[in-house]
Amino acid sequence: MGQKKSSTELTEKLKSCLESVAKHRDKNAFSTLFDHYAPQIRAYSLAREPGADLIADELAQEVMIRVWLKAESYNSKLANVNTWVFTLARNCRIDYLRRNGRFVSEIDPTEIFNDMEDEGPSPFEMVHQSRLEENIKDGLAQLPREQSEILFKVYLEGKSHQQTSEELKLPLGTVKSRVRLAVNKLKVLVAR
Amino acid sequence: MNTIKNHPSDELLTSYSAASLPLSQALCVSVHLESCDECARKLQRLNQVGSELMRQLKPSPPSPDLKSNLLEQLDSLVEDTENDRIEDIDKSVPRCLHQFIDKGFGEISWKRISRDIKSYELCRDQNNAKVELLRIRPGGTSSTHTHMGDEYTVILEGSFSDESGLYRRGDFLMRDSRHKHTPVATRDGECICLAVTEAPIQLTGFFGRLLNPLIRRSYVTG
Repeated sequence: MGQKKSSTELTEKLKSCLESVAKHRDKNAFSTLFDHYAPQIRAYSLAREPGADLIADELAQEVMIRVWLKAESYNSKLANVNTWVFTLARNCRIDYLRRNGRFVSEIDPTEIFNDMEDEGPSPFEMVHQSRLEENIKDGLAQLPREQSEILFKVYLEGKSHQQTSEELKLPLGTVKSRVRLAVNKLKVLVAR
Repeated sequence: MNTIKNHPSDELLTSYSAASLPLSQALCVSVHLESCDECARKLQRLNQVGSELMRQLKPSPPSPDLKSNLLEQLDSLVEDTENDRIEDIDKSVPRCLHQFIDKGFGEISWKRISRDIKSYELCRDQNNAKVELLRIRPGGTSSTHTHMGDEYTVILEGSFSDESGLYRRGDFLMRDSRHKHTPVATRDGECICLAVTEAPIQLTGFFGRLLNPLIRRSYVTG
């Protein structure tokens, strides 16, 4: 219980910091957000590019700049702060990789993913947000290793199903069905 | 928009939420999301899974002066307003396609493929997937074909049917080499789709077989 309480307190604190940044351009609040998120964003970068320390710093800086500039567009009814920062980090990472020639595509990812940073075309209020958060936390802890391993590759290492199947020497169909099983267990796809 | 019955699979939506899929596939999912509330909601929850996974990583402290340097810069930062350009684009064109289309579907220089079909190639993706718009005239049909790779289709306007059902605006379809199908546009109007083909399609009818070498060549040199 104590842990749950402190995690809610932390969530509230981060949210009010972000609101202070949005309303008052509050640098102290920004500094608190930086201390909390920059190490997480670096870890997210390193999960994909192990050992690439400079890239990790650059990504952290890039994402924190967006936090500063886009704080006003954050809407707590649509996503919690963690999720919002995750989408910023994800978008920055894919954009960074493309700009630096890690993959060649004529498609601009910013035009695909960035809409969701702001209020998307059809925003929804997240009802029962904290309950969902608990479900996801508990669900992740209970996933069989073979499923959590694949979620880790897809979300954090940024691997496609094809790459995951090659690395783990599993048939593509098995990779897909494990992803499906995992997200079903997390109960995130049930309409309610 | 309650008529949408065909959606991306859960695992594809998960990859989209992680941004770990080829961008050509992401483009199709994104078009679908613009008109499908149900999937947009799923996506919000999947993003939350991503954020929880990120949170569980072992934090890695940044280099010592990263924060102080950034704090000094804050006042001089200005938002990149590139995305706020005034756009003169037809409302029927999904937002994520604005990077390729600057007016509307009517102003595109379509290329005739057959009596019934015109196409317009938007680009190629990293896996050499072909990203194109297809325009099928009312009642028009495409040859029966199977796929050597995956094909992703989202309907932008009109509707078509094949052996498995009727598809309308916003519907998302994935077809692979197990499927053999003959899409036919409905008679009440033309049908415009976004199609991503990961490898040359294989025509299976008699004329189709004759045409195959040509198609493969045009795919390679495209």
